[in-house]
Amino acid sequence: MKPSRGAVNVRRYRIVRNIVLIWLTAMILAAFLLDIPKINILEHTARNLYFHVPMWFSMMAAVFVSAWHSLQVLRGGGLIRDIRALQAARVGTLFGLMGLVTGIWWSKFTWYVGTDVWWNFDPRQTMAALQLLIYGAYFVLRSAVEEPERRSRIAAVYNLFAVVTVPFLLYVLPRQLQSLHPGADGNPAFSEITAPVMRLIFYPAVIGFIGLFWVLYTQRVRLASARLRITRDPEL
Amino acid sequence: MDWLYGTLAVLEKDLRLELRSRYAVNMLIMFVVSSLFLVAFAVGQDDIEPRLRAGLLWIVIFFAASIGLGRSFVAEEERGTVLLLRLNVRGSMVFAGKLIFNFLLLLGVDVLAVAVTSLILGLQVQNPLILASVLFLGSLSLAGTTTLLAAIISRASNRGPLLPVLSFPLLIVLLISVVNGTEAALVGGDGWASATESIVTIAGFGGVVITTAVLLFDYVWED
Repeated sequence: MKPSRGAVNVRRYRIVRNIVLIWLTAMILAAFLLDIPKINILEHTARNLYFHVPMWFSMMAAVFVSAWHSLQVLRGGGLIRDIRALQAARVGTLFGLMGLVTGIWWSKFTWYVGTDVWWNFDPRQTMAALQLLIYGAYFVLRSAVEEPERRSRIAAVYNLFAVVTVPFLLYVLPRQLQSLHPGADGNPAFSEITAPVMRLIFYPAVIGFIGLFWVLYTQRVRLASARLRITRDPEL
Repeated sequence: MDWLYGTLAVLEKDLRLELRSRYAVNMLIMFVVSSLFLVAFAVGQDDIEPRLRAGLLWIVIFFAASIGLGRSFVAEEERGTVLLLRLNVRGSMVFAGKLIFNFLLLLGVDVLAVAVTSLILGLQVQNPLILASVLFLGSLSLAGTTTLLAAIISRASNRGPLLPVLSFPLLIVLLISVVNGTEAALVGGDGWASATESIVTIAGFGGVVITTAVLLFDYVWED
């Protein structure tokens, strides 16, 4: 396989990074400074919407990117595709953890205020936790194979196998577990309870955090492909 | 016809080897019996709810599968027979043969686990037919998942106890459905109505998992 000299378009990476930097700064300022309607119980914690929900979107984007590159590994894409699948999974894990933490923290001040509940088997929470478990197993599997070519193929097979089983959760969990999230179980839909001013920040926040995912992911791909050029093994 | 012949040949080879050493069978029997005794002592004399009973039964089956079935491909690597298999039969035949073998082992585990559980924990089954179909389909899905993952593990250099780590995150959907189905069989109540959804989910999961495993197996098997 050819060493990946052009794995990342550095020019494009720098442009997108600068845009994301400005975009997210503006969005975070707006998230804290703009006036929002006060809802009982939620109060100012409603601002967490701009951070908690985009984490989930970014993780889903990471899962898709990772699975797509795993598929390309099996179609003969070589080690650079393996690097892309791995780095997307790593950054996705980070976003998944952030999504869980912001969610648990938020629920502590709203749904479960005054109780001892930290963890509830909410369908969405469970799905995020399971995706993190799968990526944990994926990383463990990778560390168990030493030869890079073989590792890329085996890890790709596991990643794709996992992606196929996850959608069943969408069918099984909502029947099994009750959800407090908007839009589930006859709870009011997201668009009904969100003030226009909040949507004005929320959608840019989603775009901004997916952009942040792209920046972190591309940065790590660049680093790993540089390592591959030097050591012939992207994980050394 | 050719494909079926190859599959049966792989299955026959595995069965014959198993009959010769009886390693997997003996290990699974001892594992199921001793872990169920462990459960019985942990739970004590109290009467436990059907839900908990179903959960304990399936946890034992899942662990038995992840411990007993992991050997199927590792043993080939250790004996150095992988190359011979690769020369003589196609990958899908190997997969199908091993899948059927693992499935038969799991059916044995099911029968034993249910028998021992009813002996020492007092399993009252209101609807045996539901229980049988949940066990049958659940074991098929379980065998499909673990067979592919066992093949994956046999290619790793540090094998160790990797199979539970890899399989449990994927099997949680299956666990939820089989426990629901088994609970419906234990409680009885409105018969098939309460179990249909679980059984359909288990069958769907098994179908998807086995199809994907067949598609992906060649990438693990060929070098």
